[in-house]
Amino acid sequence: MNLKKLLYIDRRIIYLVVAIGALIPIIRPIGLPVEPTDPVIGLFDKLESLSPGDAVIISYDYGPSSEPELNPMSSAILRHCFQREIKVLIMAVFPLGGVNMAIREVERIASEFEDLEYGVDYVNLGYKDGGQAAMKALAVSIRDVFPADVDGNDTSTMPILMEVRNYDDVEVVISLATGIIGEWWADLVNAQFGVPVAVGCTAVSAPKYYAFLRSGQMIAVLGGLKGASEYEELLKRNFDWAREVYSDPAEMKLAATTGMDVQAIVHVIIIVFIIFGNIMYFATGKEKGR
Amino acid sequence: MRRTIPLVLTFMVGMYPIFAFFVPHASISGVNQWLDRALMIVAAFALPLGVVNLVGMNLSKIKQKRAGWPYAIVLLAGLVVMTYFGVIGVITRQHAGFHPTFQMLFDNMVSPLQATMFSLLAFYVASAAYRAFRARNVEATILLVAAIIVMLGRIPFGDMLTGGRMTPLSEWIMNRPNAAAQRGIIIGAALGAASMSIRVILGIERTYLGKSRD
Repeated sequence: MNLKKLLYIDRRIIYLVVAIGALIPIIRPIGLPVEPTDPVIGLFDKLESLSPGDAVIISYDYGPSSEPELNPMSSAILRHCFQREIKVLIMAVFPLGGVNMAIREVERIASEFEDLEYGVDYVNLGYKDGGQAAMKALAVSIRDVFPADVDGNDTSTMPILMEVRNYDDVEVVISLATGIIGEWWADLVNAQFGVPVAVGCTAVSAPKYYAFLRSGQMIAVLGGLKGASEYEELLKRNFDWAREVYSDPAEMKLAATTGMDVQAIVHVIIIVFIIFGNIMYFATGKEKGR
Repeated sequence: MRRTIPLVLTFMVGMYPIFAFFVPHASISGVNQWLDRALMIVAAFALPLGVVNLVGMNLSKIKQKRAGWPYAIVLLAGLVVMTYFGVIGVITRQHAGFHPTFQMLFDNMVSPLQATMFSLLAFYVASAAYRAFRARNVEATILLVAAIIVMLGRIPFGDMLTGGRMTPLSEWIMNRPNAAAQRGIIIGAALGAASMSIRVILGIERTYLGKSRD
């Protein structure tokens, strides 16, 4: 067999192998083990250190393209906050669907908690244009930046916003971010106002956030499906309610732990292709020119 | 005069926040807060500007029947339909300002289309990795080995194969060499942004004003 043909294997064959590799764990989940790492444990520990009534901001800074990676993260973090009776202020600064992601996620997760009261325990403030200007203005008054919530309700009468006036009353900002927005929270809100910032991002964005993590400008980085699955694992290891939630087959379909099976298989396929490609490269005498 | 007024305005609104940052007195920061609110409004106006530009470019593409012009029709139709239902939703203040048709289109078209685009990356990355990750020289080999370690460290198989050593090794690569390189890139980009901002504030960089007719 001509080795050069193997060196320049038709890309459609690669696509087919990747598609089959991705489909198998979707049809029959493997349930591979997940081991939490320090960048994820940082956020878990921070939320565990808070007292009931403390407040956090969760900013939905992503759109539908990042939904499969960041929705499981959002679900796990929201569940953790609501279980610990931490007050949650939801907002979005990403224009292409950030607020839609927030509405869907918050409605779904909040419905799991019967005692939760809108406007008291949590509020969805909606989208605000202006990015960094909005983030900066929140340091003065959250109500001024968001005079109405996502449904158009007056925020000045909401108990949660009477208690949480600005960053002084916020324990941590969690940005579920695509692109550069996570950096803005670190550059501006952490650097200028000293609020701890954690970022949940897509796997491709994760490497740049390690610089912020190392410098202390972020307390945690949840990178892609792996970060989300690690957070789910932390919840399952520590709480009975989480083990119950994440054993529900309907919930497992949406969970990052299930998605990690697909990611694991596809990574292995890519690694095998890389090794195979290099073997062929040397076997053909380091073919040049392509 | 057409250029002097914008230059003076740029200088003032550029310098004031810097001044206010170093002089946090109430009388100074009050104006700065007003500027922040004004910036949010100005940013909102960037959207219609973008829409006008997009419509103009695509209309001319359709008129001249340039390559891919049917896609321009799809784009404009999508823009008109989503804008129509978006505006109706805001006026009627239905669920969170989202008209049911807008939400339906978003959930069943925008969302799956964007997710599909992103998902295609897995296929392209696999194909590109097979072709590009070759141990051609020392640098490429280092990159190749680091990539395999990080990829294995991001999945449970890595630890299974190495008795739990792959995740710490992958985290070390991310925390040390990667973070160091990222830091350099970030600091470099920040210095570039700062120098460009100073050039704009001082009126040295004027391309944002458009072509001069003076």
